Amino acid sequence: MAYSDKVVDHFNNPRNMGSFKKDEDGVGTGMVGAPECGDVMKLQIKVQDDMIVDAKFKTFGCGSAIASSSLATEWLKGKTIEEAQKIKNTDIVQELNLPPVKIHCSVLAEDAIKAALADYQKKADKPEAAR
Amino acid sequence: MDQHHTHNTGSRDLRMARSMCWHCQSEMSGEYFCERCVKVQPVSKETDYFTCFGLPRRLTIDLKKLEAKFYEMSRAFHPDFYQNKSETEQTISLGNAATLNTAYRTLRDPIQRAEYLLDLEAGSVKDIRTSPPSDLFEEILELQETVEAYRASDRTSETGRRLLTQLVAERQALDQRKQDMEHHLQQICTDWDALQDRGEATSQARTERDRLLKQMREILSNRTYVKNIVNDLAATIG
Repeated sequence: MAYSDKVVDHFNNPRNMGSFKKDEDGVGTGMVGAPECGDVMKLQIKVQDDMIVDAKFKTFGCGSAIASSSLATEWLKGKTIEEAQKIKNTDIVQELNLPPVKIHCSVLAEDAIKAALADYQKKADKPEAAR
Repeated sequence: MDQHHTHNTGSRDLRMARSMCWHCQSEMSGEYFCERCVKVQPVSKETDYFTCFGLPRRLTIDLKKLEAKFYEMSRAFHPDFYQNKSETEQTISLGNAATLNTAYRTLRDPIQRAEYLLDLEAGSVKDIRTSPPSDLFEEILELQETVEAYRASDRTSETGRRLLTQLVAERQALDQRKQDMEHHLQQICTDWDALQDRGEATSQARTERDRLLKQMREILSNRTYVKNIVNDLAATIG
């Protein structure tokens, strides 16, 4: 199967690969997997004043999964939490020209974004709950 | 969980609905051949693979019996024996032979068998949400980094050799873990069969049923993750 140029580009030059310390202030971690294919994705955001200032990912999986998460981190940077919530897997499919058999990779990336945001929110809410 | 029951009833209704011979329209009493006109009947798409071979929905299967039944049915449906028959019969025999092959391949393998049962019992496998095994994921991602470092290294250098030793050990440990998971799965399969054999309709039995399905799902998923990284390792270090 041929990958689109954009997928190949992200695969060869992944953006924002790496990780933050999980317990670092303002960091949200999303860890998701696709049991059907065995792909694993870790996506992290760093938030300051409701703004995502940095994002990183690590993915074990096919080219499309790597490209999807790489693209996701690129899009996340500079977005507010609210804007980030709106990223849909279909946007990723469109941008990367993913074929139908690879749509689940974009779903995984959306799940990872949602999980990272939820983790950040959970951590951010905690001090309030203690108050 | 109620939806599974309706799902089961639904497929039974469909089986009833098609129990009429496509050729002579008489009510079907035979399994795959009309008793009146002896024409071959299509295996319904709604017939699950267990039923297809006349087996109860259990995870412990006598492979010898399964094989014997498969051969017996293969002979009955083999397209070669339908060359002088009508086009409809040829199509039916071909479809049945194909279904039979898939059914056999699925049930023969214990992992695929469990995946399939999970599909039947819990709807789509994806429907049971298990929390992602974060520790396992971290491990996989870390290991993948080591694999990449090894790929990028000069394999004859000391670093290259050290990484290789590490990866060989990791692979052994993962292989062992995969085996442990398979043993665990086997145990759950036995528990599942025992629960089915008891055939209780209590809420306790239902809770136990859901627990077993969830565990099955979890082990099968985790096994896929481990299998994936093991394959990747094998491709790299041979």
